[in-house]
Amino acid sequence: MWRHMRIRAPKDFWAGLIFIAIAGSFILLAQQYRLGDLHRMGPAMFPTLVGALLAALGSGIALRGVAFDGEPVPRFHARAIGISLLAIILFGAALQWFGLVAAIGALVITGAYAARDVRPVENIALAAVMILFSVAVFVWLLGLPLPLWPNS
Amino acid sequence: MQTLSNLAFGLGIALSWQNILYCFIGCFLGTLVGVLPGIGPVATVAMLLPFTFGLGPAPALIMLAGIYYGAQYGGSTTAILVNIPGESSSVVTTLDGYQMARRGRAGPALGIAAIGSFIAGCIATLIIAYFAPPLAEVALKFSPAEYFSLMVFGLVAAVVLARGSLLKAIAMVCFGILLGLIGTDVNSGVIRFAFGQPELADGLGFVALAMAFFGITDVVLNLEHEEKQEVFTSRIGSVLPTLGDLHASFWSIVRGTSLGSVLGILPGGGALLASFAAYMFEKKIAKPPRTFGQGDIRGVAAPESANNAGAQTSFIPMLTLGIPSNPTMALMIGAMMIQGIAPGPQVMSERPELFWGLIASMWVGNLMLLVLNLPLVGLWIKLLAVPYRLLFPAIFVFCCIGAYSVDNKVFDVYEIAALSALGYVLLKLDCEPAPMVLGFILGPMMEENLRRAMMISFGDPAVFLTRPLSAAFLIAAAVLLVAIALPALRAKREEAMQE
Repeated sequence: MWRHMRIRAPKDFWAGLIFIAIAGSFILLAQQYRLGDLHRMGPAMFPTLVGALLAALGSGIALRGVAFDGEPVPRFHARAIGISLLAIILFGAALQWFGLVAAIGALVITGAYAARDVRPVENIALAAVMILFSVAVFVWLLGLPLPLWPNS
Repeated sequence: MQTLSNLAFGLGIALSWQNILYCFIGCFLGTLVGVLPGIGPVATVAMLLPFTFGLGPAPALIMLAGIYYGAQYGGSTTAILVNIPGESSSVVTTLDGYQMARRGRAGPALGIAAIGSFIAGCIATLIIAYFAPPLAEVALKFSPAEYFSLMVFGLVAAVVLARGSLLKAIAMVCFGILLGLIGTDVNSGVIRFAFGQPELADGLGFVALAMAFFGITDVVLNLEHEEKQEVFTSRIGSVLPTLGDLHASFWSIVRGTSLGSVLGILPGGGALLASFAAYMFEKKIAKPPRTFGQGDIRGVAAPESANNAGAQTSFIPMLTLGIPSNPTMALMIGAMMIQGIAPGPQVMSERPELFWGLIASMWVGNLMLLVLNLPLVGLWIKLLAVPYRLLFPAIFVFCCIGAYSVDNKVFDVYEIAALSALGYVLLKLDCEPAPMVLGFILGPMMEENLRRAMMISFGDPAVFLTRPLSAAFLIAAAVLLVAIALPALRAKREEAMQE
């Protein structure tokens, strides 16, 4: 029987599975809290109800992906998303340990490689401009408590 | 009369030199960022949020409102000159606006957009001033059951009006609600779904969420399919429309404003729906209709007036009920909470200076946009010539600093990264982020009101149907859902979305 099943709309099918997985994990995690009853709802009640609804919707979407034809999943371009995420994580780590100046430098210089056309000199200049601008506006003008240098 | 004296009181606050300054900075920065292609109002407001942290509540909200309609207007400039909508609500402006630009009429297109927006903004401000107070009065009498049902109705309406698959949109709302529940449960004090991370005790950062879904993922998608577009920067000419232009577009502006004002109040409506509806309507009644799509000035005037009117009236549910009708309003509510104000109907009576100051500042802001945009068009055009490879790292910087500054937590920066990854996958699977963001904001409020309602009714769910107003909201929600699921209407909706 399963042999005859075919994923006809991959976009729907995978979206449905993701929703089911999310709903499942929220419902499971919620069970460690008190459920309560309808009169006095515990912290587990609402998440379980919404989770159940999401699971049902997810199943519906996934089944639709098996029953009807639809679009394929578009290509994932690893470069743009991968480098962007890396640059943001680097920003966080650098901000914690080395301060804002280093963090912006790391973010701009790494992040620029998310695009295909990178010009190294221009990139370094951009990092310098962004550092100057951010320090001047956010730290000096607006007085936001951002650490500028390591251990400051 | 009461309204006029309230407005005068508000004007007194909005016209203090300090608030004028913040309104100006807001409009200016909003337009500046909004002009950049691919950055919509949500991302603009989120990115510029840290600029308001050091201010008091009234100046902060006035500045944010300025940023919002600045971004809205900036998007139209991009639509006319580059044929890339700066944001989704100016998609229809590209149709005739860009054609006007190609025929050497970019100036009048920009001019009529500014004038139409100004007229729409003035009228919408009056509408808010007249309709918000009675609505807030009614809302003060709402019990938890009414609030819960109203939120259900709001979410359903937002889903129905969203683009794409209905099932996916409802699923995204549920997902957003679940994400919103992460953190400390106010009733029991239990920290839920935090994986033992103390940083998650306060829940996921809303600013981080908005930046991930509307800032970073958008940049990444733009990077994936870079296209070269022709920018009409050489000759703009006079931005003043001719008398003939004004004559041709006067009724379009009036109709656009009326449609936009009504649609803006609806949950999930706001500027986007308003501009689409206004364009379709003009096209339908225009004589002769052939000129639409070929640079008809009415095709610019109507949607531009409508989206500005809609942007303004979408403040009504936010100010009176504390319920956001679109993601930008959700951000405004987030900003109010950061300022220590609980959004809801009590804001009007408890913080009248905030309420009326904000409303009056909208009128000031609209005047400012008109004054700002007509002479500064040259500057915005220069900005359009900046290559994307220089812009997007700057967007990263603003997003990261903004998310960190909300609570001065590095953890929020990592949240952006994690949520961007999630948002990227979901967008690739055609799951729109807007319904999710509304669910995220409304989730905790819904749970709270559901619990209270059930507590009062001793666990009897019938309370939602025995209270007439609550029942009305739920029935309206059900009717909407059924109506949209019917094949005939569904086809119509898809047709409308296609155009």
